[in-house]
This record gives sequence, structure tokens and C-alpha cells, in this order.
Amino acid sequence: MRIVSGGVTDMGRVRTNNEDCYRIVEPLNLFVLSDGMGGEAHGEVASAMAVETVVKHCLDAEANPAATFISSVQPSWSAQTKRLATAVHLANENIFKSAEEHPEQHGMGATMTAAWIAGAKLSIAHVGDSRAYLLRGGSLLQLTRDHSLVAEQVRRGILTAAEAEQSDMQSVLLRALGAQEEIEVDAEEHTLFPRDVLLLCSDGLTRVVTEPEIAGTLQAETEPARAAEKLVELANERGGPDNITVVIVRLEKDSKGWFSWLRGGTRKNPGSNGSVGGN
Amino acid sequence: MPKLSLMFEDKIVKVVPVGSRPVTIGRAPDNDLPVDNLAVSNYHAKIYFEAGRMVVEDLDSLNGTFVNDLRVERATLHDGDNVHIGKHKIRVDTSGEAPVPWDTGRKTAAPRIDETMVLDTKERRQMLQQAAAMGESMQFAGARMKVPTLVVLNGQTDQKEYVLANRLTVIGKSPLATVRLKGWFKPQMAAQINQRDDGYYLGPGDKVPKINGTSISGPVRLNDGDVIEVSRVRLNFIFRG
Repeated sequence: MRIVSGGVTDMGRVRTNNEDCYRIVEPLNLFVLSDGMGGEAHGEVASAMAVETVVKHCLDAEANPAATFISSVQPSWSAQTKRLATAVHLANENIFKSAEEHPEQHGMGATMTAAWIAGAKLSIAHVGDSRAYLLRGGSLLQLTRDHSLVAEQVRRGILTAAEAEQSDMQSVLLRALGAQEEIEVDAEEHTLFPRDVLLLCSDGLTRVVTEPEIAGTLQAETEPARAAEKLVELANERGGPDNITVVIVRLEKDSKGWFSWLRGGTRKNPGSNGSVGGN
Repeated sequence: MPKLSLMFEDKIVKVVPVGSRPVTIGRAPDNDLPVDNLAVSNYHAKIYFEAGRMVVEDLDSLNGTFVNDLRVERATLHDGDNVHIGKHKIRVDTSGEAPVPWDTGRKTAAPRIDETMVLDTKERRQMLQQAAAMGESMQFAGARMKVPTLVVLNGQTDQKEYVLANRLTVIGKSPLATVRLKGWFKPQMAAQINQRDDGYYLGPGDKVPKINGTSISGPVRLNDGDVIEVSRVRLNFIFRG
């Protein structure tokens, strides 16, 4: 499968700094997104540290596959999933240690949503309330579970989804990188199919843009970077209350099949001009 | 010495001898034969020698242990038997000397009757349902998983029954699909079933599937007993959620 991707990060309309951070590592098909928190500029420090640690660990591991896995990786996971989960544990360690060593950074933290595609296998590792979605056959499915208080209350039936959207406790996270020395990382594997679209985003998008709107935008705009821009614009039109980061990954068929010449150029396929891709 | 060969899709994954100690099989990594599949319980079954005979015993697994396609609680194994656990198969080779009993004490325990049962598809389905319901009522959340099953009612597919062990399931001709459709002009991805927080949802792929005869317009939550129809295949969704 051919993979095209693009991402956008934006300060939003209210904040004066951008504590979100993302990286697309094209040779690895690795996509990493983090939303930082903490006073002064420390949210930015935390999210950058989170993203850099994960990217560096995955790149290093490609060169040295024998590098050890840490914490509770499950034996059934693929090498990529184990690696990604390990990388997120390391990011937690780095942020926690840095905050211990620098008292001014005390209380800083970050979310982490990382996706790694190897062949048809998608590995996801996740902590916090940034999200990964999969659009397949027109249906949008949230792959990650928010580690926020309101999301947990909805799962336990204490709040309805509508009440959760109105709650002023939305920013309370149950898990974040850097908050504690040890952390539980959610990791999952899925099989990807041609035409699947993967979306990673920070809560700056999902607080103000609904899932049907996200699905509609991904279907209407097939160029990943442009679709990401449209979603950011939409969030800003709704007040842009927080930093907004969107990463979009589209999976396309390698070839269009044995009868593709019959169709010639009649098929609208903006991804085929070779100029698209992440930054 | 007698041995067991763990096989997946006709390839040998691991071979272990059966000696004086029982061989344990399950999803947990500390089993003698770890089987890496969500349809397999953490400690699914064990195989050991008793009075010179090789015996398989199901350890109250959710999805059952099958000897040559019969579900068993406990059964004597013979040379060439196949024990099926999830999608894996264990081939039994009893050639060679049986080991000396490792613990004569266990023979004095209450004798157990072989509880081999012959089940047709309907009974087996009911058993799977009961097992799923039991799994739910028991509080060992980690050890037992409730997993829904798709039973093929008619149409060409690669299996007759599918355990939906993953959150995302695709029905289609694609080799990556969980439920693989066979035959000409079948779409790569006909439809999908995805697990959300509150249950399993059927959604369209390249085709618009029907639930109990009615076409769906978007993702629809599946209920136990629903009949799914897509690309000339009918599937029964079994899940006591």
C-alpha cells in the first residue's frame, strides 16, 4: 500500500503559545503527536521532549533491533508495537526526570498518540486525551480511549456523552506523560486496508469539531495536508479555544489493478500526482 | 518420548516433549505452549500422562478445546489426534515410551469420567453462548474474555465460524479480511464490524449490508442473534453482550 500523509499544527485563537507538537517520519511511516501542559513555556518543553524521545527511539531501534524493550510489553505484540510502547515509556521517564531536575518545570506533562505503519499492520501507543481515528468505508471510529476524567465517567455510566461535552472538568487527565515515574501505556494493533484514513489530533480539534464533520472533511478533501488545514480552519471558526494539531495518513492501493488503463485519467485521484506527502 | 507439535496454518510453531510434567497451553507467556491469540484463554488446557495414557484437559476455557473437531472437557489422546485450540492445532505423537508417572499421589484423587461430548453446530453455538455468559458472570476479568462469534449460515467463506477477537473486523475478499469471501466479483471489503465502547457495530464497506433483512445507512449496533447479509453471504452474530 502507498502511504501519503500531512499534518498541521496551529496556536488557535485564544492561546498565545503552541504546546502541541507533531512529527511525521516518512521513511518509517511513523506519526507522533503530543499535547503539552504546564505553566510558562513548559508544556512546549514536555510535548517536544515526548515527540523527540519517541521518534529517536524508533529510529535507533531500526538501526539496532536488539535494543531492549522496557516495562510491560506483551509477547503477542509485533516488534513495532513493542518498540512504540517502549518509546512512550521512555518519553515518560525523560519528562519525569527533567521535571525532577528542574524545579521550574515541576508539573509539566504531555499526551502522546503515536502510530506506526509497517506493511498492513498499524501499531498505536497512546496516553492522554489526544486521539487516533480510523475512517473506513465512510465510518469514523475512535481507536484510542481518552484518559480523561469525563471519558472515564461516561464509560462507567456516571455521565452521558452530552453532559461530558458540557463539563468543566474536561481538562482533567487521568494519565499523562511526566506526571508519575511509572505509567500505563495503551497499545493496540490493527490491520489496515487500502483507502483507510488514519487521523491523529489533539483535543483542540475534538472539543469544537464533531465526528461527522471530521468524517465529512476527510471524505471531501483527499489531499492529507489540505484536509488537515480545513479541519484546523473549522476549529478556529468555532473559536479556536486551544492549540489544534491534525495529522492525516491515507492508505492507497499500490496499483489501480489490471483494468486501470481502461479507465485512463477519468478517475479523480489527486494523490497520484506524486507531489503530495508529509512535511 | 511422546511429543506435541503446535501448528498454525499447517506450519509447525513449536514442538515439546510430553514427559512426567503436564504440558500447559494458553495465551499467558509462561505456558509450555504459548498460543498467541485472543480467542485462547490465558490457561486454556493441559496435556499430561495418566496411567500410561495421554490425556487432554480443558481448563474451563471460554472458547473450548476440540479433539478432532469434538469439543471436550477431558479426553484420552491417541497417536495422530489433532487438538484444536482457537485457530491453532496441536498434533499428537504418542510414539516412544510413556514416561513414569511423576506424582503417584494424583492418581488417588477422585477418578474423573471422560466427558467427551458430541456436539452439532447448534449445540456448540449454545455452548459458546453459555460459556460467554458464564465468562461474563465470573469476575476474573483478565482471565476470561467475552468474544462474539459469527456463524456462517450460507455463502462461500473460508471458515464456517469466526471468533471476533479483534476490535476491527473486515468481511471481504481481501487476504487481510477476517471473514474471507470466496468467489468471483466479491468486493475486497464488503462490510466491517467494529467494537465501540458500547458494543459491536456493523458498517458498510463497498457494499451496504443488511441486518435482519433491512439495509443499513450507517454503523448499526449488532444484537445477539442478528442475521447479517452481504455479498450473498449470511452470517449469524452470536454475542451475549
